[in-house]
Amino acid sequence: MKDFMMIFIGADYQELGLSPEQLQTRMGKWFAWNEKMQKQGIVKGGEALVPSVKRVSGPKRTVTDAPLIEGKELIGGYYIVQAENADAVVKIAEDYPDYDLDGTVEIREVMVFEQ
Amino acid sequence: MEHNVVDHLFRHHYGKMVAILTRFFGLSYIETIEDAVQDTFIKATSQWRTKIPDNPEGWLNRVAKNRTIDILRSIQAEKNRNLSITTGASSLQIDELFLDHEVADSQLRMIFVACHPSLHPSEQIAFALKTISGFSTKEIAAALLTKEETIVKRLTRAKKSIRENNIQFKYPAPEAIPERMVRVMEVIYLTFNEGFHSTNKEKLIKEDLCGEAIRLCQLLLKKEQFRSGSLYALFALLCFHMSRLESKVSSDNQIVNLKHQDRTKWYFLLIKMGNSAMLKAMDYDDTSVYHYEAAIASEHLNAKTFKDTNWKNISYWYEQLYTFEPNMFTLLNHATVCLQLTDFEKTHQLLKIVDVAELGQRAYLYYGCYAEYYINKGEKELAISFLDKALLETSNSLERNFLMKRRDDITC
Repeated sequence: MKDFMMIFIGADYQELGLSPEQLQTRMGKWFAWNEKMQKQGIVKGGEALVPSVKRVSGPKRTVTDAPLIEGKELIGGYYIVQAENADAVVKIAEDYPDYDLDGTVEIREVMVFEQ
Repeated sequence: MEHNVVDHLFRHHYGKMVAILTRFFGLSYIETIEDAVQDTFIKATSQWRTKIPDNPEGWLNRVAKNRTIDILRSIQAEKNRNLSITTGASSLQIDELFLDHEVADSQLRMIFVACHPSLHPSEQIAFALKTISGFSTKEIAAALLTKEETIVKRLTRAKKSIRENNIQFKYPAPEAIPERMVRVMEVIYLTFNEGFHSTNKEKLIKEDLCGEAIRLCQLLLKKEQFRSGSLYALFALLCFHMSRLESKVSSDNQIVNLKHQDRTKWYFLLIKMGNSAMLKAMDYDDTSVYHYEAAIASEHLNAKTFKDTNWKNISYWYEQLYTFEPNMFTLLNHATVCLQLTDFEKTHQLLKIVDVAELGQRAYLYYGCYAEYYINKGEKELAISFLDKALLETSNSLERNFLMKRRDDITC
């Protein structure tokens, strides 16, 4: 088994101005998905991220506060799951709730360092 | 998967929290409050993914309250004034506002703000749906068949009127209540009708609007000072209509007219509630259009089958209603009743005085009625031409399919 990170990009609820009703529906879908993965015992971790961004870049360590990134490129959260291979994670990611809001799931294998 | 969050909790809770917080901080902060409440739901959507709190409502209350205090603090800090909000006495006071009866009280005040005469009627509905019922501008636009930007404008104007007229978050003075209630009832009635006759494709929105109207009515009926024969009659009317909402649409999402509705699907608990409200209405002296409309709806519900409908009574009630308050829709409905009585001459007479321009989005009903008139008279070609006119006037797929099927029935 290997570890994979599912990174959720785009579909910033705040920016999209979803209604309370829509938010509740989304919440229910995320909850169901999490529960399904928990039952399979594949979740190693995961968090949702606050949309405000601070960036440090360049040799001068320039700090930018403004959300320079557009909502559709913003990382909203991640999960780390255990799976046989990337294809199995693609299968898991099918239940991600926000494809209809132009959300994307990026799947990355966690690198294992030789002892 | 199951979780312990009741349906529509977020939407219903939106209205509650906005009302409570407005009562505490004042109407001048309503925009800040609305933002804070919205933030709360976004937060819940992330935090509840892994674990839903044992008391979801309590969680929402707490977070919304804290968020509002935070926002107001930062506003005041910017203004460089002393902080008037502390976590001491005032937060104790605010907690009391979250008790059930105080929540209802706050929401009622909001209804009267929404129906304040300085707001234009179209603004009143938009403001009520947003602030009391927790619909988004997009959902309101879909429900009222308008553009989202129109709704945004109406809401902005409504808030501007509230500011400029310095409207307070209070009940009207006792002597002003009857007059204000007339408008409150109209807003509830219109909200319900938008749902019930919705030309919207989404069934969900329809049910939500109707449910909201009934909920607001119930909220008002809880308080002695707002009760009247008209309010009880309105509540009865909404219950009667609502009882057959389910049977209006078939399992394959087709519209079913009264004649073909499965009457066993009617929700009898609502009919009973309507009947007892109607009895209570009789204890008061006032009369309203709701009395007549409820009488008509009740005649329909009393018939075991479509054939058993007492059309004579219904025709009588329509005549009374039109005398009480002339209205194009009453004429149109009366015309369809005369069709059932096979009184074609009367049907035609009535249709001739209907001003189709006044029917707006419901003009297709008028053409549909004309078509039925010609079908009954055996004039197929005229019937088809009127069905085509009706088809041009509605974009609702349910209504369109119904009209199309009717057209096929004649042609084959």
